[in-house]
Amino acid sequence: MLFLAEVSVEAIFIPLGILGGMAIIFALLLAILGKKLAVVRDERIDKVAKLLSGANCGGCGHAGCDDFACSLVKGEASINDCNATPKENKDKIAEILGITNDGEETAVVVACCGGVNSKDKYEYQGYGDCKSMELLAGGNKQCSYACLGKATCVDNCPNYAIEVGMEGYAEINQDKCTACGNCLTNCPKSVIKRIPASAKVYVACNSHDKGKAVREVCSNGCIGCGLCAKNCPEGAITMVDNLPVIDYKKCIGCLKCVEKCPVKCIHEFKGKSK
Amino acid sequence: MEYLMIIVGAVFVNNFVLSQFLGICPFLGVSKKTETALGMGFAVIFVMGIASLFTFIVNQYILIPLELEYLQTIAFILIIASLVQLVEMVIKKFSPTLYSALGVYLPLITTNCAVLGVALMNVKPIYAYTLGQAFVNGLFSGVGFTLAIVLLAGIRERLQYSDIPKAFQGFPITLIAAAIMSMSFVIFSGMI
Repeated sequence: MLFLAEVSVEAIFIPLGILGGMAIIFALLLAILGKKLAVVRDERIDKVAKLLSGANCGGCGHAGCDDFACSLVKGEASINDCNATPKENKDKIAEILGITNDGEETAVVVACCGGVNSKDKYEYQGYGDCKSMELLAGGNKQCSYACLGKATCVDNCPNYAIEVGMEGYAEINQDKCTACGNCLTNCPKSVIKRIPASAKVYVACNSHDKGKAVREVCSNGCIGCGLCAKNCPEGAITMVDNLPVIDYKKCIGCLKCVEKCPVKCIHEFKGKSK
Repeated sequence: MEYLMIIVGAVFVNNFVLSQFLGICPFLGVSKKTETALGMGFAVIFVMGIASLFTFIVNQYILIPLELEYLQTIAFILIIASLVQLVEMVIKKFSPTLYSALGVYLPLITTNCAVLGVALMNVKPIYAYTLGQAFVNGLFSGVGFTLAIVLLAGIRERLQYSDIPKAFQGFPITLIAAAIMSMSFVIFSGMI
């Protein structure tokens, strides 16, 4: 009780009043300004964001699904930029935004099957990632189009769907892959390609060199013989720049090309196993 | 001349991070990439400048006349917290691009001890700063912080590509780098 008698009432209540007053003034100021400066958020953004895959993979070129939803609502982006969202959800988003969804589901494949069968140019001893390796004379493969097998795509895959196996080239596990496209943008050799999800075959070589040059550096590379184009009953394959190009609208999936290819660089595409 | 002394003092001699060891948390937390470090740095410059202005005014015209200097710490925390809130709202409204660039870092600064530190040091009787000097000191303390965090971010980016013994990977090597940086800043001590 003695202390209390020594402390004057003012010594407690003046600081209390000053601080309390300041706090109340700041609070009021913030409340008023908060109302005045409020930024109106389009409620469609939340609806769209909920329907997106939520993978935040960045494959669309935006800083995540929320950012992509903002651009979608503003009309700055196309729903087809996103590959991870299933088709039903895309249709629903299109309905909300009043646009049509004409996009087709896609899948991602590695267009190279060289790996250990593709000869090395030199022994690489630098940092273990494709981008660093590419700086050194375009990588250590003699074939300038080949997958380098240093797994930059593996590092960038948000779904752990890619691995570089004993064969020495990247392989995609289609069951895990959402086709977000992170690997596409990060591959220095652009060896990963996008094909329709309904495709039955794909060309697993990226080399535009002439047959002899390909043969010298890789036993699995496309030599541009054109047997696949000749044997395709639907005429779906054309040879462009020493490499077959498949027209997936015409392809019926007879797998004749897979059979006939002398170097076995046209592969059957099995898609998701479900 | 006096202003020049304050600037050199704030950036180099009494660098907040490397000489006074304040604001270490964002220094280590947000220095993985140079870009984000720069963003954090600018946010700190901004808030330090404004905070030293307002805290100085409140101290000079409210706390000192009422002989309530012992309330400085708590009053300054109050001011800085509301100020950051206000700045965040204003930026969000008028410059969404700047908001998305600073975005995450602005609220973080509310509890950054370097900002409180600069506010408290500005009002120390031994310095006897004027309002303008306090503002410049705040601003350039922020510049000093930015310098330190960007330098460390540059080093850390290089470290990612270096062959570091496993035991030192990650934070240990970062702390060592920070320590060496801090020691190299010792050469500035005694200049002023």
